[in-house]
Amino acid sequence: MRLINRPLAALLSIALITVGVLIIVEVAADRIVNHPALIHWHRVYDWAERTSWTQGSVRVGSIVIVILGVILLLAQLRRGKPQRLPIDSDVTDAAYTRRGVAATIRGAVNDVDGINHSTVTVKRRKITVRATTAGRQPYTAQSLHEAAAQAARHRLDTLALSPAPTLAVRVTTRRR
Amino acid sequence: MHADRTNRAMLVLFAVLLIAVGLMGAMTSFGAFGGLVERAHLFANPVSVYVGHHGGWLWPVTAAAGLVMAVLALRWLAVLLFSTDRAGDIRLPGDHSAGRTTLLGAALIDAITEEIRAYPGVHSAKARLIGDATSPDLVIETTLELSADLSALRQRIETNAVAHARQALDNPNLPVILDLTVNDRHARRLS
Repeated sequence: MRLINRPLAALLSIALITVGVLIIVEVAADRIVNHPALIHWHRVYDWAERTSWTQGSVRVGSIVIVILGVILLLAQLRRGKPQRLPIDSDVTDAAYTRRGVAATIRGAVNDVDGINHSTVTVKRRKITVRATTAGRQPYTAQSLHEAAAQAARHRLDTLALSPAPTLAVRVTTRRR
Repeated sequence: MHADRTNRAMLVLFAVLLIAVGLMGAMTSFGAFGGLVERAHLFANPVSVYVGHHGGWLWPVTAAAGLVMAVLALRWLAVLLFSTDRAGDIRLPGDHSAGRTTLLGAALIDAITEEIRAYPGVHSAKARLIGDATSPDLVIETTLELSADLSALRQRIETNAVAHARQALDNPNLPVILDLTVNDRHARRLS
């Protein structure tokens, strides 16, 4: 979100500067030469004088403005995926990155004999592991679930995350 | 970038303003304020009438407000484009009667990262001093090998490298942000 916010913020600040300067220039021009300097605001004034609130363009414009505002507000208030997961430490403000947590748990699960592939999703309060077995006896999903869950749990415990997220492990047998 | 909070606050404010303006327009347009208002023209409202009657002093005040807004927005843009949150060189505290001691930020960073990189199990390390030069924060970003004992390595970084940095800055309470990530590229290639 920060990467999107930066260009948006730059655009907004440029727009504010432009509007501020335009107001100053137009007010000054009206006082000094009694004539618009950059924007023919008399036309805008005339348009507003003869346009009623029930006109379609006014309604559509208002609704579009509301929709844009709601989209922007929701985007700003939405809590994204955590960038860092804090560690219980008295010495520093230590944390594992989300990618780091996913990598280490994925490594632990992939080390289990019979696990072919795994993906790890890390959210603020929950870590989900989806592992796939090699698909041949005796490496079936049912037989490897406990081992995969234990490996993931053990690795998660060693990370000492605070608060510790819950862990969900799902193992499926690979289809041939 | 330390303008991130400002960016978010300003964008939230702008979104609320858009919603308020749009809602007012839509409600008026759909007759929420009565049929008379609904059928009126855009400038036929009390606010426009007030502006029309008091334009003599209202427009100069609006221009002054525009100036304030433009200056604040220019400052915001300058922070966005040109500022950095990095602290410069650090003046060490203590008795200054015989002169001041300045610690080069880059020298400290080099020493910390070299020390951390030398630990077995560390793939890479970066560090920077942020904030005010008189009370900086140290940020360390370290990538550890997947096969390493992550907990032991973290403790080693905290008890050795971080302690040395605090000692060098003569600040036992130096705030330290330690970000750890794990490198699993090698493991992925093997699997």
